[in-house]
Amino acid sequence: MKIAFIGQPNAGKSTIFNGLAGYKTVTANFPGQTVHYTISKVKFEDEVFEIVDLPGIYSLTAIDMAEFESRRYILSGQADVVINIIDASTLSRSLELTLQLAELQVPMVICLNMIDEARRKGIEIDKDKLSHIFGVPVIETVANKGIGLDKIFSSSKKAYYEKLIPKIQFFHKDIEEKIEEIERTIPTDFLKNLPRRYIAIKLLEGDKELFEEIRKHPEILEKINNLREEIKTTHGRDTDTVISSERHALAMNIFEEVAKVGEPLKSFREKVDDLLTNKYLGYPLLFSILFGIFFIVFEVGKIIEEPLIEGFNSLIERLPNFVEENSLMFFVLKGLLEGFSGGLGVAIPYLIPFFIGLTILEDIGYLPRMAFLMDTLMHRIGLHGKSILPFVISYGCNVPGVMTTRILESPRDRFITATLSVLIPCAARTTVIFGLVGAYIGGLAAASLYIFNIVVIMILGAILTKFIPETAGLIMEIPPLRIPAIKNIFMKTWLRLKDFMLVAWPLLIISSIILSFIEYLEINFILNKIFSPVVNWFLGLPEQTGIALLFGILRKELSMIMLFQAMHTTQLNTVMTDLQLIVYTIFTIFYMPCVGTMGVLLKELGFKKMISITFLTISLALILAFTVRLVLSFII
Amino acid sequence: MKTLLDIDNGKKIKILKISGGKSIRQHLQSLGVHTGDIVTLKKSSFLGGPVLLEVNGYDVAIGKGVASKIEVEELE
Repeated sequence: MKIAFIGQPNAGKSTIFNGLAGYKTVTANFPGQTVHYTISKVKFEDEVFEIVDLPGIYSLTAIDMAEFESRRYILSGQADVVINIIDASTLSRSLELTLQLAELQVPMVICLNMIDEARRKGIEIDKDKLSHIFGVPVIETVANKGIGLDKIFSSSKKAYYEKLIPKIQFFHKDIEEKIEEIERTIPTDFLKNLPRRYIAIKLLEGDKELFEEIRKHPEILEKINNLREEIKTTHGRDTDTVISSERHALAMNIFEEVAKVGEPLKSFREKVDDLLTNKYLGYPLLFSILFGIFFIVFEVGKIIEEPLIEGFNSLIERLPNFVEENSLMFFVLKGLLEGFSGGLGVAIPYLIPFFIGLTILEDIGYLPRMAFLMDTLMHRIGLHGKSILPFVISYGCNVPGVMTTRILESPRDRFITATLSVLIPCAARTTVIFGLVGAYIGGLAAASLYIFNIVVIMILGAILTKFIPETAGLIMEIPPLRIPAIKNIFMKTWLRLKDFMLVAWPLLIISSIILSFIEYLEINFILNKIFSPVVNWFLGLPEQTGIALLFGILRKELSMIMLFQAMHTTQLNTVMTDLQLIVYTIFTIFYMPCVGTMGVLLKELGFKKMISITFLTISLALILAFTVRLVLSFII
Repeated sequence: MKTLLDIDNGKKIKILKISGGKSIRQHLQSLGVHTGDIVTLKKSSFLGGPVLLEVNGYDVAIGKGVASKIEVEELE
């Protein structure tokens, strides 16, 4: 039996799914996390259930990618039972989706999740009454505490075997007449797998996808347009608004019938919430929270990274004892070890604490509040509040940063945010900034590089907006603050880490081996000569740095480690001037994303955009590094 | 005509009209914000920031641009 979870964002679908299927999806207290759906098989009482976790949708209107995908899945008729998961504390709104799902005429179970939160808000729901109205089973759960989850299987079985198809709730008579008229007009073979009523309503609403289909029958199209006009004249509003208000009214009626609203418990949480988004205090709090997390991540990271990398380095140094030095095998092994340790050196020390911190912020529900606070600033660069999330994550690592652009509605915002995200100095580039500029010139110089970076990103954002105009502004739900479950935090951190390991790590190892080959073939010298015009003539850097920059594409911190090797010293200030160190570091910050990031850009945005972002960043790095060289040469 | 930007903190308001195209309207509708709804303005726009609305017990943030397209009327 195939059961599909569907519900509004943040209703707890993924938490329920994880509770039933073992941890396989990522949950968050951020609306719209699941973009691709996940399937899992679970055995319950001799029956195998295939559970499908669909992206959260507010309605069947299909506003963003996630909604479109969910809707297409349910319409495909693959699900035997639809489990409508509802955040009980937002029942009145959630019922609007339930009403739309009822139109699809598939056996259904209504699952009232977060029933504890509803009680805290003073909402008492009569589930038997609700079950009577829709004619389908209604169950109560508290997913993050695992309460009531077992009832999902038994009630799905009941709904499936007893064919408990939801009862249609009717609109006002005049609208029903129009719906009937369309139902009669559409030919029986038109999208014959879909219920007639669903098609009729969607046509009245002016649904894009269905309109494309009906265009093949011009006479029907004309009739529908006439009916739409009729409604518009009698109601004084567009039909989609009329139907949406009808549904809203129905939902409110049902809500009033089944729910009693008492006094909410004025909670401590609301006071905290008020403080977090306070127009004055919100910003210093935001700054301290972010700064605190980064500080902890780097302090903890350093303690773990150093012994880890040292261990691997001594292993690499001892390699000649096992295989003949400078043989092909030696270089393959060396490349393999370097690539492997590189991934480990970033993943374990920095990504794990970073992901834990991020997950806590996410599960508490701080991130939407951050988006709220940052909306004004983000509009300056043609984006809106939600884009702050990928940016912040990118300071840890660009790979998950780019992945997070999925939460944005428009492809335009996703592209611009991803482009700007890859310019943000990740943990690896931070090592370079502090290792080169911080160590040899000073902390102030290092800090100004960060500010310089932010200024460049803002200017670039403003320029990109000129070419690709801004779309609709911020509209987003701010979910209540929640206390995160520890189990969830660790599982999610693990899933995020897995994403990094599957996408970035293999690429790292392969390219590390390739670079090892270059070393084996002793073409360093030739490569340095090839890059010389750019590196030496244009940027004024020593010729040997070419190969170090090439290695930096693998992992940005390699551009520093390899620099020590290429210059044959760990005292770089004896062979490079301050100006050269700054130019080199700026170039490293901006020039093309590392291979791991390119991999995820390819996956999220496609080949063309990945190439254009790469090209853009290289040009940007050249221009910036050259300008800085010119300007600073007058000052220093 | 007053828009969401002209309302003070904590005021109860009725939404009269949502202009600005179908996509904005549908996005708002799907989040439970409809013409005719009575909502509370929890936080007004500050320095061009978004407003925070309370709709039937949950919060919705609306950017300044969108908020300026929502006509409202203050209730006592």
